[in-house]
Amino acid sequence: MAKATEIRGIRIKETRSDNIFNACNLLFWFIVLFVILYPLWLIIIASVSDPDAVMAGQVLFLPKDFSVIGYKAVFEYAELWSSYANSIFYTVAGSILSVIVTLAAAYSLSRKFAGKKWVNLAITFTMFFSGGLIPIFLNVRDLGLYNTRTILIIMNTVSVWNLMVARTYIQSSIPNELYEAAVMDGSNHFTYFFKCVLPLSGTIIAVLAVYYGVARWNDYFTGLVFLRDRNKLPLQTILREILASLSISGSSETFFASFADNTEGLQEAMRKAEVAKYCCIVVSTVPAVILYIFMQKYFVKGVMIGSLKG
Amino acid sequence: MSDLRLPALKKNTLRQRFTMALSRDWQLWVLLLPALLFFLIFCYFPMYGVQIAFREYKPAFGITDSEWVGLEHFAEFFSSYYCGRMFYNTIILNIYGLAFGFPLPILMAIMLNQLNGKRFKGFAQTAIYVPHFISTVVLAGMIYLFFSPSSGIINKIIELFGGESIYFMIEAGWFRPLFVGSDVWQNAGWNTILYIATLTSIDPQLYEAATIDGATRWGKIKHIDIPHLIPIAVMMLILNCGSLLSSNTDKALLMQTGGNMETSDIIGVYVYNTGLGKAQYSYTSAIGLCLNVINFAIIMSVNAISRRLSEISLF
Repeated sequence: MAKATEIRGIRIKETRSDNIFNACNLLFWFIVLFVILYPLWLIIIASVSDPDAVMAGQVLFLPKDFSVIGYKAVFEYAELWSSYANSIFYTVAGSILSVIVTLAAAYSLSRKFAGKKWVNLAITFTMFFSGGLIPIFLNVRDLGLYNTRTILIIMNTVSVWNLMVARTYIQSSIPNELYEAAVMDGSNHFTYFFKCVLPLSGTIIAVLAVYYGVARWNDYFTGLVFLRDRNKLPLQTILREILASLSISGSSETFFASFADNTEGLQEAMRKAEVAKYCCIVVSTVPAVILYIFMQKYFVKGVMIGSLKG
Repeated sequence: MSDLRLPALKKNTLRQRFTMALSRDWQLWVLLLPALLFFLIFCYFPMYGVQIAFREYKPAFGITDSEWVGLEHFAEFFSSYYCGRMFYNTIILNIYGLAFGFPLPILMAIMLNQLNGKRFKGFAQTAIYVPHFISTVVLAGMIYLFFSPSSGIINKIIELFGGESIYFMIEAGWFRPLFVGSDVWQNAGWNTILYIATLTSIDPQLYEAATIDGATRWGKIKHIDIPHLIPIAVMMLILNCGSLLSSNTDKALLMQTGGNMETSDIIGVYVYNTGLGKAQYSYTSAIGLCLNVINFAIIMSVNAISRRLSEISLF
């Protein structure tokens, strides 16, 4: 903790009340960080502990009786991994589509053209008013997209919020002089967009990729509403059956059955299922969190720039 | 941009202006087209389709040819037994969410800004965003695990202190605290972004001048930070008011059990269960339309009031 602040060579000592404030602030952050991080830590240590210790509530700060029985069970559960592959496909394809469409639209909206006011109005309006779940569902069904993989990719292609963040970023970080110079050199909107705007938009592309990628990875509702075939379901929709349920085995018959028929008996299957839930959480959450931590540097910067005028 | 256009010598007709604008801007429209198509198909088509709220939808006749029944479905909803309870549950859940979820990010942003150690500050900022990247399903799963009566850590701690374990997920009284609490846990950190961005954009000279004039940290917060945060905070409040009747349906659906129906029965979940589960398309479209209209009216009036009183508004 710095005891003095320095302003242009002048050192000013912090007063006593400031020191008290700093101490309180540190305490505040230790509490906040504990509340935020402890549940996450608990999941991780429970996933590598012995089921009996977990169920007895003995796993509090460190793993107890290290075991990977839960992970083994999860890795043997085939449906989880086919849905995992589905999710990767939906997330990658969908995010690429989203980033391209959003960036192109954001560039257009950062320039002046006749009718822009109406386009802006029409887009903003969708933020505050929607047809509602049922008309959206019927619309998708009438378009023949119900129960197709396509709908999971094109649903939620553009988020208005992300579009505005991207537009603000392009407006504020790419100087207009560059456009004027490019036009003088015979460039049109297409060449300017592809040769000047895209190479200068690394940060915002990273931010959009994280935003869209994580939103898609974590989405279970779209799969729940628009898909019927189990082999097309994304990871989160399958996870819902395992995790969000009162019974120990999860409401998914197949999840439980996959342990039960290993001839170890019901008791053993239930033991496994309990820890397997923790392992499912780890396995499904790690990609999103890792993506965030890797992109973190761009991320905070880009979001700050984008959201300032948002 | 405007200085690159040729000056118009004489007034053109509307048609000439249109073709001129199109020949000048067509590339921008091409770049905009995919996004516009998306909004048209997935936002405006359903808005057109919402007319089934006034019809008796039959799949054989489609949206436009089903029989017109006027406000029948709306009347049915408002006179139904559960209507009042659902409105109450939805609104109260959002009010709790606002009461706890709105001030905390502001406090966290201010406190983060006052942290001295650069590395600790960076760590704290990274850490508070992490819960946002956890999916709703996993969050609900965590609640089920931690609050489980037989093996959940919370009940183990309660038992340790001699209490009796609580069936959190099937007691109606616990639905709201768990729902709002987990929401705050997940999003309070994330929602600081806007406020932190505002605070970092404040001219450092203000702080320097205040320090030289002998201001304490508390003084700087009171006279510099808070006045700068008020406009953005008011804007966030207006935005939040606009969703007073909508709710996190995804999450409520996951947390609803047979036991907590009394408090977890909110409008969004009802629309999902009845609309898609029982195929009552017209009736639930009417409910959805009601919600959207009321939400829209609230955000417009709150915005107008705010513009009058404080000159802060969204648009």
